[in-house]
Amino acid sequence: MNERRSSRPIKGREGKARPYIADILVDKRVVVCCGAGGVGKTTTAAALGVGAAMLGKKTLVLTIDPARRLAEAIGAPQAAKAPVPVNDTRLAEAGITGTLATWMVDPRVVFERMVRRLTADPEQAEAILQNRIYRALAQLVAGMQEYTAAEALYGFVESGDYDIVILDTPPSRNALDFLEAPRKLSLFLDERIIGVFLPGSGGGGIFRNRARQIAHGVFSRIFGEGFFDEVQQFLAAFSGMFTSMRSHAESVRTLLKSQASSFVVVTSPEPAALAEASHLEKTLTGEMQLPFSGFILNRSWAYTRGLASPTEIVLPKDATPIDHSAVAKLEVLAQDELRLAERDRRLLAKLREKTNAHAVATPQLDGDIDFAALLLIAESLVMGAAEEDALEIPASRRT
Amino acid sequence: MSAIEELLRRRVLLVTGKGGVGKTTVAAALGRAAVAAGKRVLVAEISYESPRDAEEQSATVTSPLAGAFGLDTFADEPRLIEGGLYGARLSPLAGHLAFLRDTLPVRLLADAAMKSAAVRRFFHAAPTLAELGIVYRLLGLVKEKWDVIVCDLPATGHALALAQVPQTLADVLRAGPIHSAAQEGLALFRDPKRTTSVLVTLPEPLPVSEALELHEGLHKLSVDCSMVVLNRVPPNPFSAQERAAVERVVPDRMKMLGARRIPRIDRAASAHERLERELRLPVRVLQEMDADVVARIARALGGAS
Repeated sequence: MNERRSSRPIKGREGKARPYIADILVDKRVVVCCGAGGVGKTTTAAALGVGAAMLGKKTLVLTIDPARRLAEAIGAPQAAKAPVPVNDTRLAEAGITGTLATWMVDPRVVFERMVRRLTADPEQAEAILQNRIYRALAQLVAGMQEYTAAEALYGFVESGDYDIVILDTPPSRNALDFLEAPRKLSLFLDERIIGVFLPGSGGGGIFRNRARQIAHGVFSRIFGEGFFDEVQQFLAAFSGMFTSMRSHAESVRTLLKSQASSFVVVTSPEPAALAEASHLEKTLTGEMQLPFSGFILNRSWAYTRGLASPTEIVLPKDATPIDHSAVAKLEVLAQDELRLAERDRRLLAKLREKTNAHAVATPQLDGDIDFAALLLIAESLVMGAAEEDALEIPASRRT
Repeated sequence: MSAIEELLRRRVLLVTGKGGVGKTTVAAALGRAAVAAGKRVLVAEISYESPRDAEEQSATVTSPLAGAFGLDTFADEPRLIEGGLYGARLSPLAGHLAFLRDTLPVRLLADAAMKSAAVRRFFHAAPTLAELGIVYRLLGLVKEKWDVIVCDLPATGHALALAQVPQTLADVLRAGPIHSAAQEGLALFRDPKRTTSVLVTLPEPLPVSEALELHEGLHKLSVDCSMVVLNRVPPNPFSAQERAAVERVVPDRMKMLGARRIPRIDRAASAHERLERELRLPVRVLQEMDADVVARIARALGGAS
């Protein structure tokens, strides 16, 4: 992907190098946002989507269970069956030439689509979709988001309808579970397991037969014979899909490991979130060998340039004692805030040291996240200062 | 009776909430508060460790609750953490093994079954069976000597799933040992005399909405909820009059140091009001602070309601 369409000249403020985020949004086809819960991952994914659209890209943001208000801000209805484009005039008003669509991943839709795509004929698909076990499983929240997030991502990248797809990872303690999910699914669909349930499938030596005997004994005993038959029916209906599902899971992994993908770790300045971020970075770059690009320090206090201090407030002569004590207390808060700003700048410097300058901060914003707020965050991510000394607060919103 | 005493009459406390709200800190603090109240206490956290992790002794499994007590990790069997307080992890694997041992006629067969890669993988990968393993492990611990077991639950989806899984399994499997185990789990979760949940959230509009949704989800699954903990509330130094004065004397608060913090303070106040209005449950407020968090929260939670 060397094509660089851009609605705005991309260079950092004051002629400094632009942040790494802009490079990612120009060069990559997949951006995955990882991070602990509560760090503003969904907001960041949405802002990255806005940023990509600013750079002229046809963009899709896949979110998992975003809060309602945020869904409204980016224009994602709760129960859509397909991606919904963000209103063109809204983008045009902001001078954005790319497009932006969002979709809240609905596990049931993704699974049903997969079943329909991978089965030979509609009748077989119906048989699976109507199966009692399938229906019970599809109702469960547990794990289904993980199973389907990667699947949905892959489907949209392959469709070629978008230049870039940004994924907000599912909320889970281990934020990388979703990567394991396709592998876990293919483990479950492993012939050795299927063989236990479907006698006659596959040959197998003495080991296989021994395993089958043990497993058969165990499963009949704990599930009961009747259920065992039902599982067999379920698996028989599914078995036509297994090979394609397995190769599909492999393709998802290959895509995510390739240079077309990029993983960013979102964190807040909270110690717990930072510990998690560091753990995620190690896991990504270490055992998983995934293309980690850098950190986004969300909701940081680092931006202070251009801010007035309460000490500059000149109270009128007729000011009341209450006015004076209000200003005095504001000064205490200001001191506290300077301390936080100092902390966050040090943090940013540390993160940059760790990743060869690949860390950026987003500012604190007033009020709820709406489209205007996303624009601000996107600007600070795409065009914000790359150097610590250039940190400044973006134009104030809403007075 | 104070809200905390009321809470500690149950055998199982499920500490739940969206990711990142401070559940682990609250679970750790509740554990300490329970010990202070003279209870035999076990704090437990869920560990979705895969068989591969177990085989390779992988160090990548994080254990935040153990971390809150300065430990690397918990084991399947309860171990003493500090005076009177024990910690353990609830892992599917331990639950599966216990289940097979209880179900199969010969213990040897259970061990052999768990050594079979096919069986182990099936239990690990089949949807719902991991959760059932955790529930089964919890059922086992409930039968031990503990007065109170404080469970630090993972993110919302998993918390609801944990309560939902027994129902699903009991529906799908109409008889047999799994059906019985699921029924037993359901009975435990749905008995407000034995089990209750503590909902942790943050003082911002979105987390509060999510907490309300989670509360509704728990209610639908007939899981009792007896307390809300509003975590990381920014201290508000202003009186109502001073607050009004700030509005007058600061023209653009986002351009002034210190004043940028005021919107958060306002949001926290409305978050608190909204929770009390909508849930009619005791709301414990924990102020934002830097150091020594667990001890201070334990004191705050342990105080009279």
